Amino acid sequence: MAFMAQTIAERTQPGQRQSIEESNYVGHVYARAEGVAGVVIADKEYPTRVAFGLLNKVLDEFTTRYPQGTIAGASSSTGDSDFSYPELQQYIVTYQDPKQGDTIMKLQRELDETKIVLHKTIDSVLARGDKLESLIERSDALSSQSRMFYKTAKKQNACCIIS
Amino acid sequence: MDRTSEFFATIESLRSRAQHHLPSDKRRLLSPIEQQQQQPGNGTPHGQHQKSEFTLIASMIAKDIHATAAKLTKLARLAKRKTLFDDRPVEISDIAKINKQIAQLQTQVRDQNTSGGRQQAGLAPLSKQAIEHNSNVVVLLQSRLAAQTSTFKDVLEVRTENMKATKDRREQFMFSAQQQASAFSSDSPLYNLDRRATSSSSPPKDVLSLDLTTPSQLQQQQQMEQVQLQDSNNQYLESRSTAVESIESTLHELGGIFQQLAQMVSEQREMVQRIDNNTEDIESNVAGAQTELLKYYSYVSSNRWLMVKVFAVIISSAVTLSVLS
Repeated sequence: MAFMAQTIAERTQPGQRQSIEESNYVGHVYARAEGVAGVVIADKEYPTRVAFGLLNKVLDEFTTRYPQGTIAGASSSTGDSDFSYPELQQYIVTYQDPKQGDTIMKLQRELDETKIVLHKTIDSVLARGDKLESLIERSDALSSQSRMFYKTAKKQNACCIIS
Repeated sequence: MDRTSEFFATIESLRSRAQHHLPSDKRRLLSPIEQQQQQPGNGTPHGQHQKSEFTLIASMIAKDIHATAAKLTKLARLAKRKTLFDDRPVEISDIAKINKQIAQLQTQVRDQNTSGGRQQAGLAPLSKQAIEHNSNVVVLLQSRLAAQTSTFKDVLEVRTENMKATKDRREQFMFSAQQQASAFSSDSPLYNLDRRATSSSSPPKDVLSLDLTTPSQLQQQQQMEQVQLQDSNNQYLESRSTAVESIESTLHELGGIFQQLAQMVSEQREMVQRIDNNTEDIESNVAGAQTELLKYYSYVSSNRWLMVKVFAVIISSAVTLSVLS
């Protein structure tokens, strides 16, 4: 796998993105102009855009952390210890679920959730309308009854004064 | 025993039997010059095989240049055709490959020529005129080669422009039928993945690419690669743009939902007002009834002595009635 990653990275021109299919997996490679390249190996279902977004983010951080001079100075034999990048592990964990890692997908997911919440809100508003209508009827009935009550009381006072 | 001269002579005799083309004038030019100052032992054969070697190489170069010129004219004609559809990419790629091979041969032969010129200077002290003539021939061939490459460059530029134009026209046609465009864009990641997978593993056989590796044609190579790069970049950017467009549409829907919500709530405001009015009426009615009842109660409670009198009258009337009956 490392060999394939290396060959793919060497084959791409700087400033170019490529996706190469290999047996069950797809390797997304992005080579930046500074001479740093990143390879993401994922299965075929993983969305391409998320892979390249991850590559973008990782390469940006890497270039900001280790400026180009140190990269150019280091030969291939220095190994990984000079350029330690522990956040990679965390990134790999978070990006297992593409909907979780990528920002655009996160936005989309939250918007979908908001939409669901709003649908529920509209349903509850409709139910509120029903309840308000019943309340109107009952208040109408009550008001008429109370009016009758008032009239009866008044009539009782005005009419013949029996014990 | 230095038999290299005889060896060269035999080779040249074989060669002269094989080829009888342009070198004739060059031989004529070279031979009188070289015959003037040859060593007596080697004399004419040495000079002849020297000049014939050089002239043969020069003749080969000239022939190749001529062939490339012919192929270039064919290429130019094909590139000018400017058709939307199938403009014989196979032929063009074949011709381009042949051109490249010829260019490689030319460079090789040119290097051989320059080295051969140096060898000749080492082999026998040629006159200044001979050296000048050799260098002139080499310069001539180089100039012809340069002209060929420049025409090749022009042809390739024309070809790239045509391909860009075809791409634009294709995009226009796709854009007019938007459903096609949306379907194409939804399929495009898969389609482009397949394309990139096949293209990156082997040398590209696309219409958009020609196999160029000659050092004098780096610019075309860069142009082609830029078109390819832009293509792969475009795919990524297109996917991003589609995602952002979907987000925008979701936001739009959300805005509509909020508006509906506000409208429903405003409709329910009237209902609530009616309920408020009703309850106020109820309250006033009930309060009035309560005062009436209070009045009655006070009347009744204050009127007890009269009630006793009224009762006494009733009882007395009842008693009299019973006595009478």
